[in-house]
Amino acid sequence: MGTARTTAHDHGPGPALEARDLHRRFSAVRAVDGVDLRIDRGEVVAVLGPNGAGKTTLLDMALGFSVPTGGTVRTLGEDPARAVRSGRASAVLQTGGLLDDLTVSETVRMVAACHLAHIPPAEALERAGLSGLAPRRVGKCSGGERQRLRFALALLTSPELIVLDEPTTGMDVRARTEFWETMHAEAARGRTVVFATHYLAEAADFAERIVLMRSGRIHADGTVAELTAARTRTLTCAWTGPLGGEQGPAAFAERHGAVLAGSRDGIRVRFSAHDTDALALALLAEGLGGDLQITQASLDDVFLDLTGPEADSIPETDRPTEPATANGGPA
Amino acid sequence: MNPTARTGAPTAAEPMSSATPPRRRARILLGYAGWDLLRTVRMFSATFFIVVLPMAMFLIFGGIADYGDQALGRGNGSAYVMTSMAVYGAVTAMTATAGSAAVERQQGWGRQLGLTALSNGMYAAGKCLVGLAMALLPVLALFFLATAMGARFDHAWMWPITGLIVLIGSLPFALYGLASALLFRSEAAVSVASGLLVLLAFFGNLFMPLSGAMLAIAKFTPLYGLASAARWPQLEGQLLQIGPAAPEAGDSLLFSVLNVVVWTAVFGAICGLAGRRRTAR
Repeated sequence: MGTARTTAHDHGPGPALEARDLHRRFSAVRAVDGVDLRIDRGEVVAVLGPNGAGKTTLLDMALGFSVPTGGTVRTLGEDPARAVRSGRASAVLQTGGLLDDLTVSETVRMVAACHLAHIPPAEALERAGLSGLAPRRVGKCSGGERQRLRFALALLTSPELIVLDEPTTGMDVRARTEFWETMHAEAARGRTVVFATHYLAEAADFAERIVLMRSGRIHADGTVAELTAARTRTLTCAWTGPLGGEQGPAAFAERHGAVLAGSRDGIRVRFSAHDTDALALALLAEGLGGDLQITQASLDDVFLDLTGPEADSIPETDRPTEPATANGGPA
Repeated sequence: MNPTARTGAPTAAEPMSSATPPRRRARILLGYAGWDLLRTVRMFSATFFIVVLPMAMFLIFGGIADYGDQALGRGNGSAYVMTSMAVYGAVTAMTATAGSAAVERQQGWGRQLGLTALSNGMYAAGKCLVGLAMALLPVLALFFLATAMGARFDHAWMWPITGLIVLIGSLPFALYGLASALLFRSEAAVSVASGLLVLLAFFGNLFMPLSGAMLAIAKFTPLYGLASAARWPQLEGQLLQIGPAAPEAGDSLLFSVLNVVVWTAVFGAICGLAGRRRTAR
């Protein structure tokens, strides 16, 4: 992002993905509405957003499945369809895309036969953790196993870029963890990984960089730390002072530039503030509370703001750092 | 990347272009077709209707019937029934192959293959090869069975020519199977379309010789032209008749070919319209 690189030639290095003023319209719907995005080689990027944000449409264009109605997109420095056909870019598809009558091993060998060049099918199976399931019929595989199979197919050409669209949909927690462990190993080999998800935890845990999308546009772009840094923290404590008057929680909050975010029966009280450390110091010094707990604004908060009704009108970079909503979840 | 104003389907874009050597493309095409043929043969229900059923019907209609040994045109009655059943088996094979191909694509397999070097054109070509191979199965099976049961052509050339007419003439039924899948988008629709072939085969004069008003209607149904053409080497358009009914006038080759051409166009048009409806969603 920061460092300038050589501009993309036809088959030159070029970034893993580069979109310029990209648009895709389906009759009246603007699925992707002006996206500028550059993803460099070796990055692991999550495209995060609610359903209908345009994630799949964006990735479809990056894979050549869909033709932009405006702007340009280049994958690994060349035409997306070409990058995919040659096996340089690959993808794990969201759902479907498998034949129930084949076995796991047959599926990999059949798709391998359709590639110009590929790694040994057995190796792809092993890397996806499927060696033990090779003789199983696809129709009898669980959702997680099918997804591993799609992943094995994506590894066949040893691609420079792997695109995953909602890769863990339908997986249980264990399968999801195992899947990401496998993905980590592939990313460590230097592959660029771009995945769409609406699981915040997945984006936060796995991606180095998060691209937040809403209504076909990119609303924020950065690391988890960058996205949550500008936001307030929450201090929760057991309130021991009086509940009203000069020494009450509301007055205390006002005095220290914080906001009283919630109070349950006057026992546990929640404040929002930028400098929660100073707030904690004051609280303890004045002897008004104890049993303190400080939590950082989570990506959830960023995401909730993003999906909230008012989000459209606020530019993402200098969004007012108002306190988190009073009932913003227990975190 | 040129964002030209392509308003068509958002399917996989450019074919592989000339950058890929033809030999490697051929290898990919054959590799794909080989795997797909294995799958199709392995599906018992499909193979049953394509191969076993026509053979059973040959035994019922031809092997046992008393006109089997009678001379008929440049062959005998048994050979006549053999050709009819070969036509039925071949068109069933084509319909099922094309129909399941369309369903398969709708279920996302097309997208998966879109991530490989197999272009859309190569996919279609591969499916045609599979369809032809599947259509060849009942033709060969019936030729062998019928020969064993006493079917006879007067000249050796009639065997390959009859087989070839059946195979090529069954190709338009790929469009028929495709149309059913595009219109109703389910595996069940393809089964129904294959089942309906029984009815079309009846009107195509494949099961029992028709006459009178029935025959007059039958001449305009989709399988009639192919049936008549497939029997051309043996009968040259003459019609087989049972019983004392007044003799029917034979068919002209032009009429048979016209029947095939018109129905091919009809099936093709339905595919075009259904396909457009699908992408216009």
